[in-house]
Amino acid sequence: MEKIALTIDGLNIVADKGMTVLETALRNGIYIPHLCYHPDLKPSGVCRLCLVEVGDEQLVTSCRMKVEQGMVIKTKSPEVDKVRRAIVELLIADHHTDCRNCPSSGQCELQRIMASLHISVKRMRPLKWAREELPRDTSNPFFDYDPNKCVLCGICVQTCEVVQGTSSLYFVGRGYGTKVAFFANKSRCESCRQCVARCPVGALIPKTVR
Amino acid sequence: MEKREERLLREILSFYKGQQGELIPILLQVQANFGYLSEKARKLIARFLSITEGQVYSIASFYSQFRLVPLGKKRVTICRGTACHIRGAPRILEATEKVLGLKEGETSSDLEYTLETVACFGCCALAPCIRINKNVHGEMTPEKVKELFPHLK
Ligand code: SF4
Ligand code: FES
Repeated sequence: MEKIALTIDGLNIVADKGMTVLETALRNGIYIPHLCYHPDLKPSGVCRLCLVEVGDEQLVTSCRMKVEQGMVIKTKSPEVDKVRRAIVELLIADHHTDCRNCPSSGQCELQRIMASLHISVKRMRPLKWAREELPRDTSNPFFDYDPNKCVLCGICVQTCEVVQGTSSLYFVGRGYGTKVAFFANKSRCESCRQCVARCPVGALIPKTVR
Repeated sequence: MEKREERLLREILSFYKGQQGELIPILLQVQANFGYLSEKARKLIARFLSITEGQVYSIASFYSQFRLVPLGKKRVTICRGTACHIRGAPRILEATEKVLGLKEGETSSDLEYTLETVACFGCCALAPCIRINKNVHGEMTPEKVKELFPHLK
């Protein structure tokens, strides 16, 4: 396998050709916040959290950027931090922040990201968009879906497609109204529950937990 | 779906090759003929393009142009452009929702009324205004809203 040398945060790193910057960083113990990346899936690049600086101040999503010889990557810089923080704040403004009562608390990527950026839930509360709670979707016999917690990363949708070869989960609607819908009787859900296992937050929860 | 409608739908589909990229043109044409995209229609379209119904629904629900339920006989449109908004469109909407028992974007189950909002229909001088099918009613108040639907108590 062809090797590629690059620099991440001042460290000299050797990666395999074809790897992405995010994979390389994670493999070398450098954490870059990410929500929509999953090692088994094609990077969709929708959450924009994995932004890094390449060369002179160009921001790119590291999950979709392939490593190149001599690349200089900064995973932290004033510019990266500013943009990333804004994205996280926007996500939280439209996210349930009752972490204490959430079964995913402790395993939640969003919590991890907030911790890494030193954003406290409490301080975020005033920024929250006051809107009505959306109802939970309990139509699946094995799991429930809470749109108030979904970050629309698309991992469950893609997982269903890849694992089952057909999907029973789809995005419906648009903008703030977007949510994931389960198309029960019209598809072939085999209750593999991979979507639940991979949801980075607490939006998909097995029925037995509650 | 009745036989006749199904025949029309199949006729529409016969003009296409069955490639996935044709989904949106098909949805547009089906809606132009039926007024909305029924579940049955979505099912047939999905089968024709070898995609799932979920995919069809996902796309159709993304574009505000596509309707998934039929329009009511009376289409009640509330303007919430800047002028109407300032002159109380939110209260007009609230009053209308109450009178019709519908939320914005909904159609009554008897298919009599559909309630929608738009960004402006160009009657700012009459703000705040409501349109029922083609008739515009200006300078509305929550009280006057009730008078517009006298048979609904
Ligand atoms: S339910 Fe979970 S996995 Fe699916 S889109 Fe929402 S946050 Fe992502
Ligand atoms: S992980 Fe790269 S955009 Fe989401």
